[in-house]
This record gives sequence, structure tokens and C-alpha cells, in this order.
Amino acid sequence: MKVQVVLAGIGGQGILFSSKIFSELGLRLGLEVMGSETHGMSQRGGSVTAHLKLGKFESPLIRTGTADILYSFEERETYKTLKFLRRGGTCFVNLVSEDRFDNKILDHLKKKEIILRAYDASGAASKIGSILTANIMLIGYSVGTGLVPFKPGDLRYVLAAVSKKKDLEMNLKAFDTAVREGQSFLNPL
Amino acid sequence: MGNVAIARGVVEAGCHVVTSYPGTPSSEIIPAVVEYKKELGLNTYIEWSANEKVAFDNALAASLTGKRAAVAMKQVGLNVASDSLMSSAYTGVIGGMVVISCDDPGPLSSQTEQDSRFFAMFAKVPAYDPATPQEAKEMVKEAFELSETYQIPVILRSTIKVSHAKQSVKISPVKVVDRQAGFKKDPERWAATPKYRLILHKKLNETLKKIRERFEQDSRWNYEVKASREASLGIITGSVSFAVLMDILEELSLRKDINILKIGTPFPLPQKRVAEFIERHKKVLVVEETDSVIETQITDKSKVLGRLTGHIPLQGELSPDVMYDILAKVLKELGIADLEKSGDDRLLKLIEDLNIDVRRPTLCAGCPERAAFFAIKKALPRAIYSSDIGCYTLGLNLKAVDTVLDMGAGITLASGFYHAYHQDENDIPIVATMGDSTFYHSGTASLLNAVYNKARFVLVIMDNEITAMTGMQPTPGSGITADGSKGEKVSLEELIKGCGVRWIKTIDPYDVENLVKLLKEARKYTQKRDGGIAVIVARHPCLIRYPDVSRENPVKVEINSACDGCQYCLDYFECPALYLNEEKDRVEIDRNLCVDCGVCIHACPKGAILPV
Repeated sequence: MKVQVVLAGIGGQGILFSSKIFSELGLRLGLEVMGSETHGMSQRGGSVTAHLKLGKFESPLIRTGTADILYSFEERETYKTLKFLRRGGTCFVNLVSEDRFDNKILDHLKKKEIILRAYDASGAASKIGSILTANIMLIGYSVGTGLVPFKPGDLRYVLAAVSKKKDLEMNLKAFDTAVREGQSFLNPL
Repeated sequence: MGNVAIARGVVEAGCHVVTSYPGTPSSEIIPAVVEYKKELGLNTYIEWSANEKVAFDNALAASLTGKRAAVAMKQVGLNVASDSLMSSAYTGVIGGMVVISCDDPGPLSSQTEQDSRFFAMFAKVPAYDPATPQEAKEMVKEAFELSETYQIPVILRSTIKVSHAKQSVKISPVKVVDRQAGFKKDPERWAATPKYRLILHKKLNETLKKIRERFEQDSRWNYEVKASREASLGIITGSVSFAVLMDILEELSLRKDINILKIGTPFPLPQKRVAEFIERHKKVLVVEETDSVIETQITDKSKVLGRLTGHIPLQGELSPDVMYDILAKVLKELGIADLEKSGDDRLLKLIEDLNIDVRRPTLCAGCPERAAFFAIKKALPRAIYSSDIGCYTLGLNLKAVDTVLDMGAGITLASGFYHAYHQDENDIPIVATMGDSTFYHSGTASLLNAVYNKARFVLVIMDNEITAMTGMQPTPGSGITADGSKGEKVSLEELIKGCGVRWIKTIDPYDVENLVKLLKEARKYTQKRDGGIAVIVARHPCLIRYPDVSRENPVKVEINSACDGCQYCLDYFECPALYLNEEKDRVEIDRNLCVDCGVCIHACPKGAILPV
């Protein structure tokens, strides 16, 4: 398997933690892991982008138009990083609804068979009691939808492995909740 | 992470002494060595030094006693350490000495894109140039061995996309190198006079020749990735560019048509190998980051395409997109392939039409440096503001920074400005700003020079008791050493006094009102007949590093109905916790970000921001 993932957001949104989840996932799946992070001034509110490449790759960077999945934890950062997605790729964005997204761009993405799913991860995270878990919820939601080639069980395992002890319970709760919401999105009653 | 792999290489090589001054993208090396030291119970001496030259010399001395030593820095740090590098290339070393210099093509977090491999050439020392974290780790180990064998300092040149790359890395056991310090006196070498320097230079040239021979034979770092069929095009490459190129060729199924010569030892270049490779091809493309070090060393360039022939951009990172365009152009020119145009122009146009503001980095909510800049602008609005490298460079956003040259130049440019104006009998206000770590790095020589030569200006040292920008490394003023143990705390005020300054005041910049008064007093002192340089130490701990002590006296504020949405506070104070509620046309406070510093009370001309 070869998968290329881009994670985008701003300082403080847990991009680097999310990137750690995917690198651990790669190791668990027995894949080679390559990746890079751009976070020069992230603590001062700048953009943070992480590239993760699972499988046989040489370089840690993803070329425009070749990423399989984009996770964007912030709307504006989505626009800046959409270019990375390949035709037929999938984007999960932390946003109240897809309707909030620019229409012309949505149409264009459709033509390229790119699936864009909005999920209010920040809202969901606040609801369960920790805004800091929004990143985990967006990832959990994505595996719930079945649109990404990862199994919830594998991700849950690595999430537990990389979480700090004090965050473990909350992180798993966030993950499980989001997986269910992802599943129910696909199979509404 | 690449820097952790480099640290692991240092540890596996049994290195005894590791020194550094922090700077992106090298800062993670020392903390990783500290971790390994703790984890493995090693006796490594680890030092955050005051600057890169200091770090270099401390490591070099250990090498002269026979121990293994490493010094790590960012590429512009090597400028600071270059005096020692150049000289030690002549005198050589005893124990292995590896100089790790991390380049920043882009640049993402530096003032230049300089290529450290040119420093290797300039100083006449060998350089290793890893493509991946794994390779970086292995190269560090070999660099120690090479350094010891040939008694020469060796450079490991990393780049940001190696240092900050993630890769699953295979580790090896840690070697125990048992060495007791034993400095053997040899003044003709260690204190060589110019006469002996000529002899040392000749020896250095002979050593380099031997190393070049060794690199000619090397197949571990210099090797060919062969095409499956007859190839007319060859590509010579190294560092992360090799990795980027390989991925693109794989993606486009072009591996079968192009031979690649990967060079991991760009200086001294294995010229015979390179010449032989060029000989076998119709054309050879040389792709290297950031400058033309390999290309320059190629003697017969008649078949070579590269930076010197305009096929590779002269500046900037060779990102996968840039690499793709280079390949597309060359392959088309040579009639090998016609690649599809990269990128989605329509998408880019649609996004451009959205006019999304560029998110510029800004000082944290409650940052004491914002308070200091705000006061400076208020007290001396027409001054020339010479500043320096650190978080406070972001004072640019507050229009309180006019110059940022390099470490220490906040003071030297201020004294230079003073003399240039004073010569014409013009008295202008000048305010220099500098952080505590930068002052320890290179402020003292600048300041005592300014005092001695009777310059006059106001210097504000923003003392947050940490090197914040690069990730919270301790300073001589914080009194903590690299491994977290207690050091000897150095007093900033005594140091300033020792530079000959007679007017020194310390204040918490949160006290904006009094800081404004103090700045005006300071300015007056610079104009007095018997006045001179006035230094204000604006001291408040960094909010990220010291979240508790920095918020000891909270001042909760609220914005009342006097706010008419003029946005003065957003434009001139730029606190991330203040935002415009467009529906109400009023500024509001984001309580998730606000740290209750209370400083914004001074930032509202309408008096609408008040303590609760």
C-alpha cells in the first residue's frame, strides 16, 4: 500500500500530534514511513503543514496533485492546501457544513472526482468537553465514513499508544464518538 | 525526525562532547542527545553555548584532548563559527570532530539560503550530504571516523527537509569510545605562526587529496542508480533533491530511461567518478540544493545542464513541484518525454479569487514584547528602530522594527546610524531592540564598542529569560544548562554595566505607562551633555515557557460600548486575542486566547478597553 496524506492547519491545532498518529499507524501496518513538517513560526499563529507518506517512498515531500487524503483543521488552510490532492482524492475539513465552502471550488472538485466532507470537529470536540481533541475527531470521523483506507481499530490502537496518560481517556472518547458520527453519516437511519 | 537521527548518530559514534547554539532547523539535535544521555546513562558533556563560535571552540578543545566532539548549528551560525572552522582546518583535530550545519533552502526561517557545502570548500574540509534521516545518522558515524583518520574537522550538511523529515530509522548499538582527556602540547601546530601555517596549508591540501581518493572509491554514499535500458540522459544529484527526484521518476515511470549518480560527499568531489559518468551520457543534468557546489567542481562542463546553464532556479527550495518543472523542461528539450503540465491552474485561480488573507505570524497573546514595542512606538514614534533576530523580529507587524540584519546587529546598526547622523550634526532618536539570548550571543562586543566610541541611542533588551523563537532553550541568564541542571546564572544588568553603560533601568513591560515615561527619560539621557547610551531591561518571563509566573497578576479586561469598531487596536497592537465582530462592528475578546495581561487597556484610543 502507498498512501500520501497532507495535514493542514495552524499552530495549536495538533497537526504534529496527528502526524505522529499516522506515522505510528504506518509502522503498525508494516509500512515504511516518510514525512515532513513545516512549522517555522507555528507557535506564533502561523500555518502548519505536515506531509505523511506511507509505503515505499524516498522523499518526505508530496507533490502537487498527488496526495490521496487531505485533513484540514481550519477552513482557510484548506484553500491553501487543496492543490495537493490528486484526482479522486478525499478531503476532510473541520467546518460546520460543506455549504460554507466556496461553490465554484466545490463544483471544480466534483469534476476532479475529489470528495470533500465537512465535519464540525471543533463543535463536536467542545461538546464532549475538550476542544483540543478536534484533530482526533476529524481523523476519527474520516475512518468512520470508510472513505479512507484505514481501519478504525488500527487507528484507535495507535492513538492509545501515542496519547499522554492524562489525555488517553478523553482522546479515545473523542475518537470513538467521531467514528460513530462518520459511520452514521454514511448510513442515516 | 532527522535531527533526532543525527543525535542518534552522534551517540552511536560514542561522541563525548556536544555543543550548539539553537537555530532552525538544527535546534532539536541537542535535546535529543540529552534524551539519549538520560535514557542510556551516558557521560556525554552537552552544552548550549552562548554562540556558535563559542560552541565550535568548546567542541574543538575536546577533540584536541583526543575526545570525540560534535558541534551543531544552523547555516548562518556557521558564519559566526567560520573563523574557527577556517583555522582548525589548518591545525586539524585529534579526536573526531563533526560540524553539523543545517541549511534552510526556501528560506523558511533564516536570513539567507546559503549552502554550507560552500563553506566546506572554502575552509577545505570534507562534507557529507545526507538525503534522508537514516543516511544522516550513518554519515555522522562515518564522519567521526573520517575526521579521526585524517585529523580534520568534517562537516555534515543537513537541510531543513532532512532535519525536519520523519522516517522510520534503524538504530544500531551505541559504541563506547573510552578516551581520557590528554592534550599533547605541540605549539608549532596548535599555536602555529604564519610561517608554520603555510606548512599546515600544504599538509591540508595533501590530506584533501587523500580524502578525494577515498571518496572516489566510496560506494556507500556515492553510487549509481541505473536505468533498465540505454540512457542518453544522466542526472547527478545529492541530498534531499535525490529523494525528491527518485519519487517523481518512480511516479512517472521514468526510472528506466535515466541513469542517476547520487553524490553523498559533494566536497571534495569524486571527480573521476563524475567525469566517467558524464562521459557515458549525451547530456548530464546536475540537480543540487541550494547552490552549485557539485556543478562548480566539474572540470568539463560541455555536456552539463544545471544552474549555470539556467536549467535550475538560482534561488529557492527544489520542492517536488520545482523539480517536476525542471525535469519537464529538460526532458522536453532533449526529446525524451513530454510531461503533462503540473498543477491545476483553474483551482489556483478560483482560490486566488477568494482573496484569502495571508496569515502572518504574530507575537503570542499577552507577549511582553508586544507591550514593549507598543510603548516604544508611543514614546518615540519617529525613531529609527534597529532590531534583531528572535520572536521580537515580529515587532515588524507593529511597525517598531526597521532593520533586521543578523544576530547582534540591533546594537551595531544603532551605533552606526548614530555616527552617520551625528557627523552631520543631526540628533535623531534611535531605539535598538534585542532579546536576552541574542544579547548574550553577540550583544556585548557591540555594546561596549558603542559605549567606547561615544554612540548615543536607547537600547531596550527584551528579557523573557529564554530563547523563545527556536523552542525554549535556556540562556546564561536563565541559569539552567542544556541537560536541565543548574548553571551559574549571569546577571544581565551587571553584564550591561560591565560594557560601560551608566544608565540602566529595569522594568516590567506590562507596566506600559511607566515604560513610556522611562523611554522618554532614556531619550533625554542620550541628549544630555554628559549623557550616553541608555539601556532599559524590559523583563517579563515568556508566556509559553513560564505560563505560571508570567501570569501572576492577571488583569481581566472587557470592551465596553465605547468601542466604535475603529480597529486601531487591531492595526497597532495586533493581539491575536482581539478580533472584529463584523456583525456588531465592534472588537471583542477571544477568551480562549486572552491571558489577562491587561496591556490592551493602553491600546484603545477611545478608552473602551477597561479592567473588569
